[in-house]
Amino acid sequence: MVDIRQGVLEIVSTVLEKAPGEISLDAHLVQEVGADSMMALEILAALEKKYRIVIPEEKLIEMTTVNKIIQLTEQSMKGGKKK
Amino acid sequence: MSEKRLPLQSEDIKKIIPQRFPFLMIDRVIEASPDKVVAIKNVTVSEHFFVGHFPGQKVMPGALIIEAMAQAGIVLYRQKFDNDKVLFLSSVKVRFYNPVFPGDQLKVVVTTIKLLSKMGLFKAEAFVGEKKIAEAEIACGSQDAKTT
Repeated sequence: MVDIRQGVLEIVSTVLEKAPGEISLDAHLVQEVGADSMMALEILAALEKKYRIVIPEEKLIEMTTVNKIIQLTEQSMKGGKKK
Repeated sequence: MSEKRLPLQSEDIKKIIPQRFPFLMIDRVIEASPDKVVAIKNVTVSEHFFVGHFPGQKVMPGALIIEAMAQAGIVLYRQKFDNDKVLFLSSVKVRFYNPVFPGDQLKVVVTTIKLLSKMGLFKAEAFVGEKKIAEAEIACGSQDAKTT
């Protein structure tokens, strides 16, 4: 789903204050892009708001690349929407 | 978090947050739940910061309004988690609308965006009466949170 990929990349690039084109979808966000866990929290909160999903805390450590965040978002959307 | 009777007075607040004079920026908590905390700061002419901010024109520093919001945010976080580690600010996005003067009563309203066991993200608004003073989005992390 192209729009989710676009949306996630937009959120990640906004939080990390980088242009979307600067972030490769498989780059490790901490090791290669300069993110930290506090930024991951901001990404998580923005995803929850935009897609009306709930991402549990334990998933935070899995949010290592944009592609993994896209997968996680898609899974959460399939898993049921927030009321 | 154990049930506490509201409002929380300064001695109750000191059991929840580690800040002390001259850096305790909330006097009373009138509403407290894991979703929302409302705190009051009475700004008096005797505040230490008015000595230098500014001589002849007393205005509460915006940085200390952020501090009041952050301290209300700690109370919010502690409604859900009993972690007594110090919380550090990690991100503050803020806009100021009006200044705060001696004699004003600052009301700080913080609402949860997302609280995790070692970090939190919340929205904060400050008012004097009906007038909005500032609005912010604040993220903080426990000192034992991994930052990478």
